[in-house]
Amino acid sequence: MIKGLLALVAVSALLLTTHGDATAQKAAGTPLLSGPLAKLDIKPAQIEKAKGKPQGTLTVGMHFALDPGWLDPLEHITAVTMQMYDYFVHDALIKGMPNGEFVYGLAEQAELAADFRQAAFRLRPGLKFHDGHPLTTTDVKWTYENFKGAYTKLFKDKLEHIQVVDDRTIVFHFKEPFVEFMDLYNGSVTGIGWIVPKHYYEKVGRDGFKARPIGAGPYKLVSQEAGVQMTFEANEDYWRRVPATQTIVVKGIRDLAARMAGLQTGELDLAFGMTGKLLPRLMADKNLRWDPNFTGPWWLMFPGYNEPDSPFRDKRVRQAVSLAINRQFLVKQETQDIGKAWGNWIGPENRDALKGDKDAPVPEYNVEKAKQLLAQAGFPNGVEFEWYVAFPPYFDMGERILTDLRAVGIRGKVQVLEGPAFRAKIGQGRKGYPSNKTIVQNIDPRSGGAKANLGVYAVCGSPSSFVCEPQIEALWTKHQASVDPLERERLVKAIQRALLDGYHFIPIYLNPFVHAVGPRVLPDGEGFHRYWDTLHAPYPWPWEVWEVKANR
Amino acid sequence: MRKYILVRAFYSVITLWLLVSIVFAMVRLTGDPVKMKGEVGADATYLQRIRHDWGLDQPVYRQYANYIGNLLRGDFGHSFEKSLPVRTIYFERLPNSLKLGFAAFVISIVLGVPLGMLSALKVNSWWDNVGKMIALLGLSMPGFFVGMVLMIIFGIELGWLPVLGKGSSTFAWSNPSTWVPFWFRDWPHLVLPAFALGWYFSGAMLRITRSGMLDVLGSDYIKLVRLKGVPERMVVAKHALKNSMIPVLTFAGLNLLIMVNVAVVIEVIFNWPGVGQLLYDGLSNRDFPMVQGVVLMSGLMIVVLNFTIDVLYGYVDPRIRLSR
Repeated sequence: MIKGLLALVAVSALLLTTHGDATAQKAAGTPLLSGPLAKLDIKPAQIEKAKGKPQGTLTVGMHFALDPGWLDPLEHITAVTMQMYDYFVHDALIKGMPNGEFVYGLAEQAELAADFRQAAFRLRPGLKFHDGHPLTTTDVKWTYENFKGAYTKLFKDKLEHIQVVDDRTIVFHFKEPFVEFMDLYNGSVTGIGWIVPKHYYEKVGRDGFKARPIGAGPYKLVSQEAGVQMTFEANEDYWRRVPATQTIVVKGIRDLAARMAGLQTGELDLAFGMTGKLLPRLMADKNLRWDPNFTGPWWLMFPGYNEPDSPFRDKRVRQAVSLAINRQFLVKQETQDIGKAWGNWIGPENRDALKGDKDAPVPEYNVEKAKQLLAQAGFPNGVEFEWYVAFPPYFDMGERILTDLRAVGIRGKVQVLEGPAFRAKIGQGRKGYPSNKTIVQNIDPRSGGAKANLGVYAVCGSPSSFVCEPQIEALWTKHQASVDPLERERLVKAIQRALLDGYHFIPIYLNPFVHAVGPRVLPDGEGFHRYWDTLHAPYPWPWEVWEVKANR
Repeated sequence: MRKYILVRAFYSVITLWLLVSIVFAMVRLTGDPVKMKGEVGADATYLQRIRHDWGLDQPVYRQYANYIGNLLRGDFGHSFEKSLPVRTIYFERLPNSLKLGFAAFVISIVLGVPLGMLSALKVNSWWDNVGKMIALLGLSMPGFFVGMVLMIIFGIELGWLPVLGKGSSTFAWSNPSTWVPFWFRDWPHLVLPAFALGWYFSGAMLRITRSGMLDVLGSDYIKLVRLKGVPERMVVAKHALKNSMIPVLTFAGLNLLIMVNVAVVIEVIFNWPGVGQLLYDGLSNRDFPMVQGVVLMSGLMIVVLNFTIDVLYGYVDPRIRLSR
């Protein structure tokens, strides 16, 4: 519920007008930039008084092997999993927090020029890395310049130069309007916003940093066994608050049954990825509590749909696929009725997303109509396709959807791929699937607003494009050229509408990525749901707020 | 003898070279690891940087030359997936695998050998039937099933034993003070995975001990000893046991290597941080350096074991070294 409210607030969020806002400047302090400014909706940091010493140990079961590379923001990948580790060790100038999508972090003031060619930040006074070394704008500049992550080219291409005004003030100058800068720099999406200590990185090098990173975040990494376990200790000097938990141990536990057993024996206090066959057992266990943790909707795509040999070239066939799916039944079978049938393929927390229960209603389930459409499209005896590529490890869900499709005469086989192999294929977009008779199941709780998903999946130029339509391309080009936030929002919504109307993407249901906690997690009762309040957070950060009972 | 050892050593080196070369080629047939790392939406420049960092932008022959050159310097390369040197990660995990492997090995011997002997000595009796039943269960109940059952009974229901991981003890090569305590701490963590792993091998051990013992007990020299009136206890202990143990020990040695290197399923179920999981992760993520490194080290262990056995055979039986 709280997430939903925050989402509504965030919809009207970041960049609303290009007119100057003297009041906002005054409140934030001395102006950093001259000239008109874009209005920013950045919430103030919630600085909390110390409530005593950190206590207890929180043991977390991650659902795959741990990568020490996740501790190095300079090589940030786009996957949200890595952000979980950012929130332990590092800190960003602005970042998503429970009180907003954009919240002041290391910066106490930020400004963006109305023409989107300059962005300025002022750091808080007295910031320090874990080793006590001061965090200054030199580190901010160095991090930007040495970033090698997924969006490097964009950041390098846009940048003209970085001006370090003093130890606390920095100005980024761009060659052309960089409308998305604040979106991409806010700690999520790209990772470039997490500040790396220059002095330490240069001293220990790339491997040394991954093995033993330091940052300015609420937790210090004290030990790790690559792939197996990471142990973090509270940074009691953290500027925002003293972390409540003394030690957080993260273990990579791939097997669902093992995570379940760990929760039941008390060896784990928090486990991720509990949706699946053991969910009824989890829900029945009186010692355990769970949070639905809605991430994003499942959806289907048709790679190569616009090729002549594709049965999905005809919109009526794609519509028949949508009509054949009994979403309510799927929700019940797959999620014990926790999930929500949904009418959009982009999650409701994303800014500018059409809401899948209001703006884009849940698609109809109508077997007879699906059969009629197939007949009208020239397939009175149904359609054969090659592969239904299920999202690993949700192969049962794939089989259930295929059963629905078979009921209207759309017949294919489930393709079972390991997670990394699936990601390798989907990363190539339509080129990852040689056959034009394929349906791909996907989910992508990507932050950065609805436009982030559109830019990846629905435009011709993306390396992961699944849709290339002149109408959508024209809208996207207009969007990219616009510096008017309202126009951009309208265009983003129009593109979503076009994709849904054309049945290019078939939304299914909003997925609960269930997390479970054991009895040691505080507060007792239902208050623990507050840990999942941060928008766009498939994992329950920030970590400094987590409370557990003291060690016995 | 010296020439014999040198020839065996040469063969061992050739075997290892063939192994690393075949694995080098095979992993490259599994696909492009850069695409796996790339994630959805990653642009071509980013992918190209990763390809360059991993050395995959070079021709294969140059990749091979670099790989062999680095191996000769003891450098196994950098893990694509875990971002650190393979050697560091492997040797961090190896003590855990050795600990689990040795414990499972002991369980397989303690269960399998005495029961196998008993079956052979009381052949076709009630004892033999029990032994055969245990061997059948050992071989037919997969480790993951035994592991899950043990986990539910002793971990969840009774709450006697932990079910996840190896505990807090760590073997640090750089810290000698951890070398001894590591083997003797956190035994409760070891019990369930070691039993689940050793259980399968105990069935196999029981079968091979039983058949070895039966062969020996039916041999002419045992008949002669019995005709001489030697007490049955002495026949078994002094004459039959030693000879029947030769195939058992050879088999046990190989079992130990398997338990140390490829206990993947048990490691996954109990979240035991061994080298088996490394290999599995490496294969699923197209982590070429990791797969190459783990296979090389497993191969090295087998080659060294075989070399040692060959040398010992040659030492104890001159006919072997003279015939080669």
